Amino acid sequence: MYAAWKPLWMGALGVLITLGILNGTWGGEEPEKAPTRPLVSAGEIAAMIDRHIAATLREEKIDPSPRCSDAEFLRRVSLDLAGVIPTAEVARTFLDSQVPTKRARLIDELLGDPRYGQHMADIWQALLLPKTSDSRRIRIEPLTEWLRASFNENKPWDRMVAELLTATGTPEENGAAVYWLANPRVDLVTGSVSRLFLGVQLQCAQCHNHPFTDWKQDDYWGLAQFFMKVRLEGNPRQNGTAGVTEGERGRRGMLPEGVKQVPPRFFLGEQPTLARSEPYRPVFTQWLTAKENPFFAKAMVNRLWGQLFGRGLVHPVDDMQPDNPASHPELLEELAAYFADSGFDVKGLIRAICLSETYQRSSKPHGNNADDAILYSHRIVKPLSPEQLFDSLQLVVGPATPPQNSNRQAAKNPNQANARAQFVAFFEADESADPAEYQAGIPQALRLMNSPQLNRGGVLVEEALRQHSTTEARIEHLFLGTLSRRPTEAELQRFRDHVRRSGSNERNGLSDVLWVLINSSEFVLNR
Amino acid sequence: MEPKLWKVSSHLVDLYRRDFLKLSAAGVVGTCFSGWLNILAADAAKSGVKHKSCIVLWMEGGPSHKDTFDMKPGTADSGEFSEIPTSVPGIRISEHFPKFAELMQHAAILRGMSTGEGAHARARYYLHTGYREGQGGLVYPSIGSIVSMELGQPDFPLPNYVSIGGPSFGSGFLGPRHQPLVVNNPDRGVENLRAAVDEQRFTSRYSLLEEMEKGFLKEYQAANSQAHQTTYQRAVQLMQSREAKAFDLSQEPETVRAAYGNTPFGRGCLLARRLVEVGVAFVEVTLGGWDTHQDNFDRVKRLSSVVDPALSALITDLKDRGLLDSTLIVWMGDFGRTPKINNRGPKPGRDHYPRAWSTVLVGGGIKGGQVIGRTDKEGAVVEERVVTTLDFMATICQILGIDYTKRNLAPGGRPIRIVDKGGNPVTELFA
Repeated sequence: MYAAWKPLWMGALGVLITLGILNGTWGGEEPEKAPTRPLVSAGEIAAMIDRHIAATLREEKIDPSPRCSDAEFLRRVSLDLAGVIPTAEVARTFLDSQVPTKRARLIDELLGDPRYGQHMADIWQALLLPKTSDSRRIRIEPLTEWLRASFNENKPWDRMVAELLTATGTPEENGAAVYWLANPRVDLVTGSVSRLFLGVQLQCAQCHNHPFTDWKQDDYWGLAQFFMKVRLEGNPRQNGTAGVTEGERGRRGMLPEGVKQVPPRFFLGEQPTLARSEPYRPVFTQWLTAKENPFFAKAMVNRLWGQLFGRGLVHPVDDMQPDNPASHPELLEELAAYFADSGFDVKGLIRAICLSETYQRSSKPHGNNADDAILYSHRIVKPLSPEQLFDSLQLVVGPATPPQNSNRQAAKNPNQANARAQFVAFFEADESADPAEYQAGIPQALRLMNSPQLNRGGVLVEEALRQHSTTEARIEHLFLGTLSRRPTEAELQRFRDHVRRSGSNERNGLSDVLWVLINSSEFVLNR
Repeated sequence: MEPKLWKVSSHLVDLYRRDFLKLSAAGVVGTCFSGWLNILAADAAKSGVKHKSCIVLWMEGGPSHKDTFDMKPGTADSGEFSEIPTSVPGIRISEHFPKFAELMQHAAILRGMSTGEGAHARARYYLHTGYREGQGGLVYPSIGSIVSMELGQPDFPLPNYVSIGGPSFGSGFLGPRHQPLVVNNPDRGVENLRAAVDEQRFTSRYSLLEEMEKGFLKEYQAANSQAHQTTYQRAVQLMQSREAKAFDLSQEPETVRAAYGNTPFGRGCLLARRLVEVGVAFVEVTLGGWDTHQDNFDRVKRLSSVVDPALSALITDLKDRGLLDSTLIVWMGDFGRTPKINNRGPKPGRDHYPRAWSTVLVGGGIKGGQVIGRTDKEGAVVEERVVTTLDFMATICQILGIDYTKRNLAPGGRPIRIVDKGGNPVTELFA
């Protein structure tokens, strides 16, 4: 396994954050303050974000939408950070809380929730593993576990990436090794590393000079050289046999077509002198994750921004090049500088963004801003990811039954043997799709409407029946547990009439209400 | 690589959608579902109206022309297969299409394809849309979506574009109505097609849902909420339709299923026939595995033996039902493969080759029993009757009775031709 080393102060901070979270429910007293870094505070960064965003809106004469409601904020930030909607009880407590700092406290609580790591792992797993027929057969759980743990302990991003990119050993020893097994060719790694950690789409330059930039084929192959000494051993489809080493003169199993042999060179940078006997990846990683690297911090800042807002400051998030400028270039620069200065503190950056007014704007169009989709005048409405949808549905209807034939399925595809993975595969959108675009089609709609699992009422209905005695209170419970808000007067009346019409069996009537709620746009979207 | 215009375009798409949403929120467009049962009952009578249909058999990866429909026996790198004669004197094809050879009188082979995109993703995009990926910063509709819009009846209960065995390409700026219904496994058809509660209860649930949706859309004006609603409306329409039975392959006798070959692709072709029978305008069936950089001959042989019974049964069945003249079958892939055999691996293969290759058209009222175009003796260069991607798209449209010069409105009010300027139909196909 990776070494559990981290600087002492980080460790101490982690403990305090954890303690803060344990004490820091929004209803109670102020949590113990974590020591502030010798840096700008998250609040100051949030204010900086708002300054930049507001300036552009003023220039363009576009009205910003007002601050979102507590209900909007609660559902949004829960989905964005923990990857799942809040329970009815959490919603009720949050909406009723009078604590003025409740939003800030909620952000901290969610960042300390273990589901944060799971959510980040869901996102990064999809990014790190190509969806090819080969990689689908590799067991990815060790990587998921490594990602989950790393994000939850808030491992500094530079260290996390370094661990990933210099990984050796078997997946059982080191979950990060799965990345290499799933990307068994040097071109796959080169494309992936440049997209994810440099924020550039260098893959076109594999075969020809880049059409819109000055990037040359040699830039691509110069970068690719750093990964040439990696060796994959054993059969990645068999547990315990496959491993990754970087030897003296290793060769990756298969070289892509059109490979060009050029000396290793950092992207648009210098050509390091490398001893033949030394492994190349650590040298590359040191360059990559250096504070001074102009790409590294920016790539992650832009990606996190895109994750939270549904649109990167540079969009698409991995297409940073002169012809595709950022909507707010100075903001991107300043955030990247802050991120690097903070020791690549991922949770810290997320906290700062979520504290901003920009993040907390309503998604309802306001004034003249309905047509703006790029200047953050109002929040973009995003569809839930398949993972978010599955986890949220489970919360509402109860655990899904494990898929049939799971043994046979496991042999064919070890990663789809559980209900969640199958659901995700079924709802998965096209990789290149815009994150704000609704991707589900008729089969997905049919499944949400008609699958027995989503029609049997389930835990939320039982909870409502158990905890509340009036139809109105029960309907409210269903709203809180699905949409994180209370019903409007008109909604309450409509649904109450429906439940009453369905006669003596209130459970049936409430199941109908739940069916309507989970099939609504409002449920499948993050507003 | 996405060009910079993408940014502008997604913004424009949004603008465009928002206009639509405003109308929709105001109740100007959009189907009201309260009366859907009646609408559908009335519909059933109307769907007897016949339009042409199209079935694309998409050979994912790019089939080797020299080992299928443009063989070059006795020349260098001619490969391992032999030619056989067909029902049309003078036309010879690979020995691994014996059944199809007997039906050659219905088919035309275009041997002059020359399409200019040699990378899978870009070639697939180009050959599905007629536009190069990213061109002008737009997302173009695929031919399936175009056919759905031009030929499909707007109130037809089934989607007018069904894609079997692969997601294919979407509707681009034509919007969610013309997105394909994707059937991953033809054996299972469309899952969860039946409501879990009785009809009356489902109806009352659905009308409550409509109320919810109206309120949300009005407040948030979100394009993805509109898309969600459109998708649901189509799904419910599908649930209620008699035509949905077409998805149930178990209604076919075993002998028929066997004729198509016991393969997922064969069943996909059978499903395509059933869908065309009830009036679906466009079906695409994907068969993967043609990217034969390695082990070309074993693989092409195996794949050919998957295609041969399926394609032949499809032709015969359509003919027997009087549907062949109104149904165009297109056999095509990403591109052809190199005339030279590579020697990289232990089992040689052929690489990507868009410069000269072949497609096959069957039915749809074309003049069959002919070969159009000729390549040189290596199968490397088109010597006669070049067919570009634009020519090809125009040809498909012409056969189906679609005016390929028609302009559809893209975001920003840009009129975009169905097939860009410069495409001319292959007139030899029209008797």
